[in-house]
Amino acid sequence: MHIPDGYISPATITVSFLVATVLWVKAFKKLKDVLDEESLPLLSSLAALSFIIMMFNIPIPGGTSGHALGVALIAIIFGPWVGFLALSLVLLIQALIFGDGGIGTFALNSLAMGFGGAFSAYYTYKLLKGKKFAYFGAGWISAVISSLIVALILGIQPLIASNGGKPLYFPLGLSATIPALVGSHMLFFGIVEGIFTQLAMKVIKKLEPKLANIEVIK
Amino acid sequence: MKKIYLFVAFLIALVPLGLLTQNPAWGEWDISYFKEKLGFIPKGIKSANSTNAIIPDYAIDGLGDISSYYLSAIIGVILIFVIFFALKKVLKRAK
Repeated sequence: MHIPDGYISPATITVSFLVATVLWVKAFKKLKDVLDEESLPLLSSLAALSFIIMMFNIPIPGGTSGHALGVALIAIIFGPWVGFLALSLVLLIQALIFGDGGIGTFALNSLAMGFGGAFSAYYTYKLLKGKKFAYFGAGWISAVISSLIVALILGIQPLIASNGGKPLYFPLGLSATIPALVGSHMLFFGIVEGIFTQLAMKVIKKLEPKLANIEVIK
Repeated sequence: MKKIYLFVAFLIALVPLGLLTQNPAWGEWDISYFKEKLGFIPKGIKSANSTNAIIPDYAIDGLGDISSYYLSAIIGVILIFVIFFALKKVLKRAK
């Protein structure tokens, strides 16, 4: 889920922007190395795919829904820093134009889905490289880790920001957020992310064999 | 013309499938849900202003659900391409 405005205490927001800014600066330097005439069409297309794939809401039992992220694909091909930055840009557009995810929570959402998703996907892929389901595994992990970060951030809000026992921001604790978010991503959305990553990689290699060769994984 | 753009276009064509469910994402509930479940609305959630977006919830005034969703997808994708092409220009100059 994209954390909306109003769910998070100001202290958490401040820390998130400080941490994210440091990471964004580093990510921009990495992007500078990667972005050129040849990589531009593929990278912008993958960011666009991420934006679109997040519009495919998938219902699950219990009356909620979720979606894949498309972050693993970018991290595998262009590295985790570029994956993080690309996702951050997608999330920025979602927050500013479509109100999907808050503006105050933009840094947190970028850290969870962008940083958490990209780095977990990248290192999992590195570990599994050569195995048949390496792309699936990287995709699955990226969704699960993203959801874990969101669950932790939401779940600590009642602990750090309550007034007379009444939570001021997101009201449910870790015992609610972790099973609901991490559980649903392990069982459903992680699987979808895994399948999407595996299939999309196949399509990209077929459509753009030259472009997919710039896979940065060594 | 890169073939990868066709893949992007193909997924845009399928985007109305995302409208098949009315279920919200876990946690992204209407404000009334908190009132119902807790008996009160947390102060921060109550005072948050989420109506600042230009196209809130991918719904464009005066357009049907499906056209809104299509147009939102196209606007989002165009913005992403514009940003990346601009970044390439800016970063290259800085090299």
